[in-house]
Amino acid sequence: MNKNIFKYDEWKRAEHMAVRECVGYYLFTHQIMEVTGPQACEFLDYLYPNNISNLKVGRDRYTTMLNEKGEILDDVVIMRMDEEKYWVSTLYGTKTDDWFYEHSENYDVETYEITEDWHMFSIQGPKSKDVMNKIAEGGVDDMKFFMNKSSVINGIDVILNRGGFTGEKFGYEVYCAADDADAIQEVIDAAVKEAGGKEITEFQVFAWTLPTEAGFYYMRDLNRTNPFEVGLEKNINWDKDFIGKDALLKIKENGPEREMVGFEVCDENEDFYIRSKQYGGPGEPVYIDGEEEEVGRVSKLVYSYVNNLNIGYILAKKDKLHIGDHITIHGTKCVITEKNWLNR
Amino acid sequence: MTKKINERIPADSGNDAGFTKYNAVQSPWNRLLSYKDALHYASRFEAVLSAAVGQAYRIIIPDYATRASEMCKEAYGRLLYTGMNYPNDDGFGIHPFMCGSYPGALIGDKGDDALLMCGRCQDFGTYRCEKELDVCDWDICGSELCRATTMSLQGQADATESRHRKGKKLDYMMVEAKGCGDRHCRIIAESREKYPAPAHELWESFGPAVSDEYKKYTEEEDCVDEPMMFREECDYRFVNGTNNETDSSNQMINLSTAASLYLLPAIANAVRLGYTTEQQAEWIKKCVLEAAGKAMFGERYAIKACREWLGVPDSIKEDGRILGGLIEMLLQSLVCRYEIEAFNENEVIYVIDRGGLAITGCQSLVEAHLYMWQGMVKTLVNAQWSVWEEDSPKGKMRIKIAKKIDKFM
Repeated sequence: MNKNIFKYDEWKRAEHMAVRECVGYYLFTHQIMEVTGPQACEFLDYLYPNNISNLKVGRDRYTTMLNEKGEILDDVVIMRMDEEKYWVSTLYGTKTDDWFYEHSENYDVETYEITEDWHMFSIQGPKSKDVMNKIAEGGVDDMKFFMNKSSVINGIDVILNRGGFTGEKFGYEVYCAADDADAIQEVIDAAVKEAGGKEITEFQVFAWTLPTEAGFYYMRDLNRTNPFEVGLEKNINWDKDFIGKDALLKIKENGPEREMVGFEVCDENEDFYIRSKQYGGPGEPVYIDGEEEEVGRVSKLVYSYVNNLNIGYILAKKDKLHIGDHITIHGTKCVITEKNWLNR
Repeated sequence: MTKKINERIPADSGNDAGFTKYNAVQSPWNRLLSYKDALHYASRFEAVLSAAVGQAYRIIIPDYATRASEMCKEAYGRLLYTGMNYPNDDGFGIHPFMCGSYPGALIGDKGDDALLMCGRCQDFGTYRCEKELDVCDWDICGSELCRATTMSLQGQADATESRHRKGKKLDYMMVEAKGCGDRHCRIIAESREKYPAPAHELWESFGPAVSDEYKKYTEEEDCVDEPMMFREECDYRFVNGTNNETDSSNQMINLSTAASLYLLPAIANAVRLGYTTEQQAEWIKKCVLEAAGKAMFGERYAIKACREWLGVPDSIKEDGRILGGLIEMLLQSLVCRYEIEAFNENEVIYVIDRGGLAITGCQSLVEAHLYMWQGMVKTLVNAQWSVWEEDSPKGKMRIKIAKKIDKFM
């Protein structure tokens, strides 16, 4: 009972390490909202706090989406596909659709959800560039991070995007028509396996262990937080008007009440019981040793296969937990750390 | 008999009384019950009714294996059909890349909390999922129900799988069940590719799990007794999956019952399969439900507690208004519309919206309530009183609570 669901699972370990040491691919189709029209840029600039107006055709940008209280509703990647055409990659499609509808009245824009038309395969890892150069016409040597372009794979039109959710220097996404997905997967699968890599099948690996090791968030981590609490305020464009700006300015002035910190479990031989928000629910309460005040909740708890450590995030009251602090979570000794376990 | 409505608090009183977050349910004597308590009451009452329907099903098919098997097949087939024809991936937070049957766990997780069955998801992955419940109001309905609910989840999961690109198939099993005396309910879903095990019949999806050593068992001191939507630590919101959030305001209308979802359809299926006739099945349901209703108030302390709960004044002795008040509390809790045609010491008449009482679209649940109320009035008031349907307009059930002599009752 309580055996660690990550640490001893060699299937997960093998898939995780394939991405870190070689190359792995997986179906990672998100919901895509297509925004078109003469005022598409202005519309998105109002909905998203980061700068959209200077996003060039063929480039992408990561940004949060806020409500009027400055709380994060969603985090997305916006891809500029053409002068008046953007793709918003989200996992919040239904609500984003409503949000767009609610705020589009004063803009000359059209918004469509085009999720069913497309599939996306993510190819990640040190050898992903070699794989892509082998299968994509024209190669990918010219692609900088967060750049997209049209290409052809085995005679099939695709859109390539350099990016990913693993923290790898090299990572690419292949967008193809839904009807072409089988044929495209066949080509990718063969090339990845020839390079010594494998298909990543485990949700927990591509959604949790790989991104967390790199300090990335899954939307559940951000739920009801604001950008200052989770370190996503750096690229906000304060020179424009956007939803949530007034609330965020107050938070900026007064300082955030919470912050996201990293932690590690100290005893790696222990099989512990710590609840985390990634499964839903409120997460395990966190107390400083010897004190009764709850200072935070465990947001995430996964395993770093690179470091052989149980790692996670805590959403804590501001300035209550500091790097190096020792805490006990549900009887298990842990230590507060930075929340990036890749560049150590 | 007159159709006079005695002085009472108007049905719309309290609307502006400051219940801005949750509405209150109120008795005819202005006893206000919080939204939370009302939902708990409705949930447990419907569980008791469901338990009685479960006993009727046991009479119709006496053999356990046959009964459980038929119930599981019916639940699996119906939920597979529902899931395939009325998909709601977005509503359950199932993302386009979630291939295979593991996202079915998200459907179960969300459904549990809506039914006040609080607990926690302990694992959610492509090859293994685990959900642990601390509370289940349906734990009195019999272990056949535990099996059938698991198979309905399997049906939903398989339907979800069919809508996506090919993925891993999971075998959903209930390895612990409160209805069998365990502390928790625990469903573990496993991929047989990763956790091999012999094939089994649908009704035998009862564990043990191959991956039992990964099981996370919550000790008593950490158990919860309220769903997320009623817990301050969750900010009164239900959150599951990776990005799914629901506040409490839509949960009341989402209440479903074991009777309407599983047991009454199982009886209807037993009729179709020839285990009994429609008339015989109806007779058995009537007998069992009336008896269950009578048992609710067979002891004086139960009557006293009910009167106290409803705020019945001492000036009201034994008459139909007491049962009427209780019925009103239930209907309000279920968000079922009703009109009061008479409410006095001689008779109480309600015109109830059948659609509101036919929870999850189960029409026979309406009559099941009537049978139960007929039993309840005999002990809550006294044996001179009866409840019957009379002159119902289309789409309504007009019930009358009054004294009645019937030599063949």
